[in-house]
Amino acid sequence: MTRPVLSRRRFVTLAGAGSAAAVFGIPAYIPRIGEAADTLKIGLLEPYTGVYAGPAENETHGFEMAADAWNKRGGVLGRKIELVKEDEQNDTSVAAQKARKLINQDKVAALVGTVSSGVSLSVAGVAATTGTLFMDSGGHSDDVTGKSCHWNVFRTCHSTWMETHATGYALQKRFGKKWFFITPDYAYGHSLEAGFKDVLAHNGGTVVGNELTPLGTTDFSSYLTKIDAAKPDLVLVFVQGDDYTNCLKQMNQFGLLKKYPVGGPQVELEPLLGLGPEARQGYWGIEWYYKSEKCLGKNNKLAQEFVAESIKRHGRPPTARNAFGYITLDRLAHAMTDAKSVEPVKVARAIEGVRFNSIFAGSAYYRKEDHQLMWPMWVAKIRPNGTPGDKYDLFDVTDVNAAEAVEQTIAQKEAVCKLGYP
Amino acid sequence: MIEHLGPQLFNGLVLGAFYAIVALGLSLIMNLTGTINMAHGSFMTLAGYLAYSMVLRHVPFGWALVIAPLFAVLVGVIVERTLVRPLYKREPFYSLLMTFGLSLIAEEVFRLVWGPNGVPFSPPASLAGAASLGFMQFPTFRIFIVGVLVIAIAALALFLTRTRFGLRLRAAVQDSEMIAALGTNTQLLYAVNFSLGIFLAGIAGVLAAGMLGLSPTSGNALLMPAFVTVIIGGMGSLFGSIVGGLLVGIAISMTTLFIPAASEVAMYVLMAIVLLVRPRGLFGEEGIFG
Repeated sequence: MTRPVLSRRRFVTLAGAGSAAAVFGIPAYIPRIGEAADTLKIGLLEPYTGVYAGPAENETHGFEMAADAWNKRGGVLGRKIELVKEDEQNDTSVAAQKARKLINQDKVAALVGTVSSGVSLSVAGVAATTGTLFMDSGGHSDDVTGKSCHWNVFRTCHSTWMETHATGYALQKRFGKKWFFITPDYAYGHSLEAGFKDVLAHNGGTVVGNELTPLGTTDFSSYLTKIDAAKPDLVLVFVQGDDYTNCLKQMNQFGLLKKYPVGGPQVELEPLLGLGPEARQGYWGIEWYYKSEKCLGKNNKLAQEFVAESIKRHGRPPTARNAFGYITLDRLAHAMTDAKSVEPVKVARAIEGVRFNSIFAGSAYYRKEDHQLMWPMWVAKIRPNGTPGDKYDLFDVTDVNAAEAVEQTIAQKEAVCKLGYP
Repeated sequence: MIEHLGPQLFNGLVLGAFYAIVALGLSLIMNLTGTINMAHGSFMTLAGYLAYSMVLRHVPFGWALVIAPLFAVLVGVIVERTLVRPLYKREPFYSLLMTFGLSLIAEEVFRLVWGPNGVPFSPPASLAGAASLGFMQFPTFRIFIVGVLVIAIAALALFLTRTRFGLRLRAAVQDSEMIAALGTNTQLLYAVNFSLGIFLAGIAGVLAAGMLGLSPTSGNALLMPAFVTVIIGGMGSLFGSIVGGLLVGIAISMTTLFIPAASEVAMYVLMAIVLLVRPRGLFGEEGIFG
């Protein structure tokens, strides 16, 4: 038997192409076709494959619960909501292409979804050029409601500015002024860095180290060994998802969690559950929490039902991602009902500025000037082992920040954001 | 800066040993059958998840470290017999595509079985702390990892150089036709060789799960550096894979020290230099451990 000869050159080509495809993912496609004329189609874009598949699934659960609740009440304008789901693969170009497909082929009334900021901006771009409504449920970049804002784009989750300022103020109350950053080296990381530097500028603190780590870093040891030399008062971790798990796990192994307080602008329940209890520590920004009166409000029936129904459906409590999905679609449906139309301009006008109560404490509104949802941002101390009988109960909510206190002012936003209504 | 040099060098060596063992598994499989195993990372993840499930059921970590890779080998043998073997006579491109497809399927299967989010898998308490090495605090688990990797590599070297079977394997790499003509069952050779590769991947997978995170995509993240390692070390040389791994590890840790933003690109620069200066890789095509 002769076996084909594998030359070095050929190996380099093949292995390179193959690994690149493995890293960046190959198209996976989840088609859903529904042609019933009496349904109201909403295009849902989420990264169902890849590193953000977890958050994507939870956001989808939230969207589905809102859709089911409205459909049970007879739908929107007499039409049942139908979610047309597409996998955007956490890839900006795939997302843009899928967004166009949803608009042109499925004729959706609006687009919702996304987890990563880059993808949100990409979909917002398509929405802007086609005049389609887009409600960004989970991409945090300031630009979405900042310099890339557009009349038909709304955002539910908090902006990075809100995250950094809410946690920055909470942390400076508790720890010293020498901070060390572990920053993911892309747009999101840099905007977090800028936000915290703004907080430090107000209280005269300093950055004693800022390690820029490439997205997808698995081994953090080389960055971590520098922390000891810098002797910071606080280590701030900005990396997300799997990188977050890797980083915290290794900080623990290097004994750093015992020496330095740790915290960050935001942590989600999903990656935290992937960490062992020994590495769950510190003060972190959280965007919603299922088990705190500070977050849900006293006797908030809607929130209690949302939590109970989520647990019943999925066997685990809802996370902030579930909440993003629910709030987003619920508001969109309300606005369409109020506007008695699905015409984008009318619906946009019906969303902005309207105060509403939902599954969190107090009332909130999508700000008229930049379309950012103005709702509180919370800070929590982590309980490594949860509470007796509930392994998911990892957050002890310590601080509540009003949106207006932690987001850029209207004047600041108006300097960069021009909504440009037709 | 300079006071970091020692610790960083050590960090790099540990990381390098890790890439080396993944690359060794890849090389073993590639050298004998020309199969570029794109599913190597999936076997790592599989072993990691299996070990996680065992530890959840109170199997001691040490046992899980051996048993989980063996289960991965079992899956590997089935894959080799049913999917890879029919492609041996074809262009390497076929098996590359097949194993790549397999890795995508595996990722979704992991997601179905163990959920889309990462799971917490920690080394046992006895290995959890950090130990003083004199010049730095170093995680006990990483020291343990180095120990396991050194033992695994030494055992592999002994197997290949001191046993009849190892001798046949090395001979088959040189000339599989002649070995078959002399009456050796080459199909069995291929299967055992594939299993060896997967076993190494499995051990690396369990150790990686303890050191890093464990999620459906975690194994694939380690695959690219391993391929780079193989190219730098030179195809056909297992010794090259070890040296290549250490070089990649040191390159990453040193650039992190001096130009952090370039740390990810460092190994590719190293690969480019090696390919320019010595296209067959540092120890390419000199035979196993030759």
